[in-house]
Amino acid sequence: MNVFGFHYRLERKAIGLVLAIIGVASIGGIVEIAPLFTIHQTVEEAPDMRVYTPLELAGRNIYIREGCYACHSQMIRTLRDEVERYGPYSLAVESKYDHPMLWGSKRTGPDLARLGGKYSDEWHVAHLNNPRDVVPQSVMPAYGWLGRTDLQAADLGAHLKAMRAVGVPYTDDMIANAATDAYGQAAPDTPFAEGVTKRYGEATNVRVFDGAPGRLTEMDALVAYLQILGRLTAAAQKPLAAAKE
Amino acid sequence: MEFNHNVAVWFSKSFGLFYLMALSLAVVVYAYWPANKARFEDAAGSILSDEDKPWR
Amino acid sequence: MIEQLSRNERQLSLVILLCLAVLGLSMAAVGRDDPLGAHGALVLLAAIGGLFFVISGYYAPEAGPERLHSYYDDPSKVGIVIAMAWALIGLFVGDWVAWQLVNPDLTFDAPWSSFGRIRPVHTTAVIFGFGGNALIATSFYVMQRTSRARMPDQLSPWFVVFGYNLFCLLAVTGYLMGSTQSKEYAEPEWYADIWLVIVWVVYFVLYLRTLSRRSEPHIYVANWYYLAFILVVAVLHIVNNIAVPVSFGHAKSYSIFSGVQDAMTQWWYGHNAVAFFLTSGFLGMMYYYLPKRAGRPIFSYRISIISFWGITFFYMWAGSHHLHYTALPHWVQTLGMTFSVMLLVPSWASAGNALLTLNGAWHKVRDDATLRFMMVAAVFYGLSTFEGSFMAIRSVNSLSHYTDWTVGHVHAGALGWVAMITFGSIYASVPWLWKRPAMHSARLVEAHFWLALAGTIIYVFAMWNSGIIQGLMWRTYNESGTLAYSFVDSLVAMHPYYIARAIGGLLFLIGAVIGCYNIWMTIRTAARSADARAPGEPAPLYARKPALEPAE
Repeated sequence: MNVFGFHYRLERKAIGLVLAIIGVASIGGIVEIAPLFTIHQTVEEAPDMRVYTPLELAGRNIYIREGCYACHSQMIRTLRDEVERYGPYSLAVESKYDHPMLWGSKRTGPDLARLGGKYSDEWHVAHLNNPRDVVPQSVMPAYGWLGRTDLQAADLGAHLKAMRAVGVPYTDDMIANAATDAYGQAAPDTPFAEGVTKRYGEATNVRVFDGAPGRLTEMDALVAYLQILGRLTAAAQKPLAAAKE
Repeated sequence: MEFNHNVAVWFSKSFGLFYLMALSLAVVVYAYWPANKARFEDAAGSILSDEDKPWR
Repeated sequence: MIEQLSRNERQLSLVILLCLAVLGLSMAAVGRDDPLGAHGALVLLAAIGGLFFVISGYYAPEAGPERLHSYYDDPSKVGIVIAMAWALIGLFVGDWVAWQLVNPDLTFDAPWSSFGRIRPVHTTAVIFGFGGNALIATSFYVMQRTSRARMPDQLSPWFVVFGYNLFCLLAVTGYLMGSTQSKEYAEPEWYADIWLVIVWVVYFVLYLRTLSRRSEPHIYVANWYYLAFILVVAVLHIVNNIAVPVSFGHAKSYSIFSGVQDAMTQWWYGHNAVAFFLTSGFLGMMYYYLPKRAGRPIFSYRISIISFWGITFFYMWAGSHHLHYTALPHWVQTLGMTFSVMLLVPSWASAGNALLTLNGAWHKVRDDATLRFMMVAAVFYGLSTFEGSFMAIRSVNSLSHYTDWTVGHVHAGALGWVAMITFGSIYASVPWLWKRPAMHSARLVEAHFWLALAGTIIYVFAMWNSGIIQGLMWRTYNESGTLAYSFVDSLVAMHPYYIARAIGGLLFLIGAVIGCYNIWMTIRTAARSADARAPGEPAPLYARKPALEPAE
């Protein structure tokens, strides 16, 4: 027997197995996921949808950094009890600027998809500082250091730029002013505040989120993010309003 | 026919079924193909024999 | 270790480590106070440590050609030791987070120790640290034996083992610093992901090169499962982790997918990580070690082939069952549900195949805790795959999703199946690898077995109870048609179960500690008896036959 031919056959067999595994395994995923990339042709439109402000995006990154998604979902399912407990069920369009999405898979704590505007800033600050001051039975960790840590805002422009690279419509203006907008959103009495509402809309929350003016902390950013949850668009409220009429 | 969402969904739903049937058939035929029987039995037994050394 | 490497391999390893050092240095330079900078320092330190280690053995005489007449098992040995170390870390952190849900102040007011940061440390340490290292170590062992061929070189297995552990280290330390992508079971950031791709390619090529040296045409089925693990994990890892970094000086990146596409991609990854990392790879382990230890060939080789293709095919469609009743289109949910239910067929075929192999060897199962580990693993595999298919049904999922039931299900699989088959395989291979007649103490293996089993059962029952109670409380209405319980009511109801769960986890951890001690003692006596032998005298080949030692 020709040694080379024998070896050639052996290797071909291993390669054949490799190709079969790749073929059998990946086609399923591709076929199932592919239509989701044409989904924008069918899902609801939300012309009023706005992007995250730099401060909210920074807050979202803190939410990710601290692993909040491990215990809090942001996806209200189409079930009666969920809608009554948390609010209108979540629509696909609401997370279209979420890179990555934070739908979550576990509710050790409650769902947060409609948290925005539900509690005051003071409540959030107190709750994050020590959850048991506000909810005695809570098992959430205390995040006391957020209010003591300055927010790193200088590079937020680069963050917005990266978000634009993956498809979020940030303008050059927004990118250029990201750092000052982050400061301005938590400092309503300064000249920087004006630019925030100009670029992100009149409805944007411009407040001293952490209750301590003059200093931009991670607490400012996280509370700003929590207060916008479910409020980037009113699309989800519409079917409900229509039903009530 | 243009490629839109409905076409993609239709393809996913129908293709999966045919793919499933064809693949199941192919695998069962391969596993029960009479000529393969001896090879499979050899393989199943082969790991039990002594193998303290590579063959080369 | 170094003396086994040829001169060329020593030089090549120096080159690789130098490149790694330069890489670490540049990461540290551009990253500065970003987590990327700290990781650069870590990479640099690891590379310098490696350089010192290689240089210290550089002038040792080369091993002669007689080394080619034996399998190259040193990487498997090191891999098993590292896997057990990760098991201790992962199980300890897991139990710590479990106690944090009992007493939330166990974070000691430090950022790095809060639940959200150390929970991924737990999952990564057990899945990738313990599971991954065990898979790599056993796959080296199995691929050489079943191919009857030594690995083609001595360097690439070390690159795989140490490179992979560098990835694990970057992952775990990253979470503590707050660097995470938030993608479940794929948390490490872009640079760690790229590094893993490099390691994985070397692993894959090494596997194929060893297979191509085999003497007979047929590839033993365990290798199919290992190959599917390597290949599909590569595909999943690359697709799921595509992201745009903020800059080359930032650890942070933004996923290219968003919203519903990202949800589907993440769960396509997440569920298939379960399939191809935690199932396929460990089935490969089972299809070698279980017949070997029982001394009987696999019950039906054909069924093992059929279920291989079934698992490889069905799992890919099943990920969407994680997204029932969400904003994911309804038809995708239905497709995922259907395939999940069909998955029961190949899963139970595998579990049944394993158990039927033991027919005629049940007396060994009674006497030998190592084999019993494997038997119980097969039982839990059958149980948790049934549970998984059941929970994928949309109406069941409406109750179970978001609750502790999911956590219970995952742990039935992770503790009952993955960890048990791994402990069984490690207890089988340690004496074979270190040329001992048996483990240091059969009684300690026995003790480990019962602790592991008790811990798993306590854990799983606690989570079943808490999950179902939680799910029911959330959807209970009172007579006036309003929700009967607040969220906090359901949280208070969980308290006793969270205590029970943490105790179950503690038992499992104690078992693993005993296992580590036992393995360490076995290795130590192996080293001693090697020292006691006259130089040049060959080591006794106990490993020829798996010796069974009944528990006294």
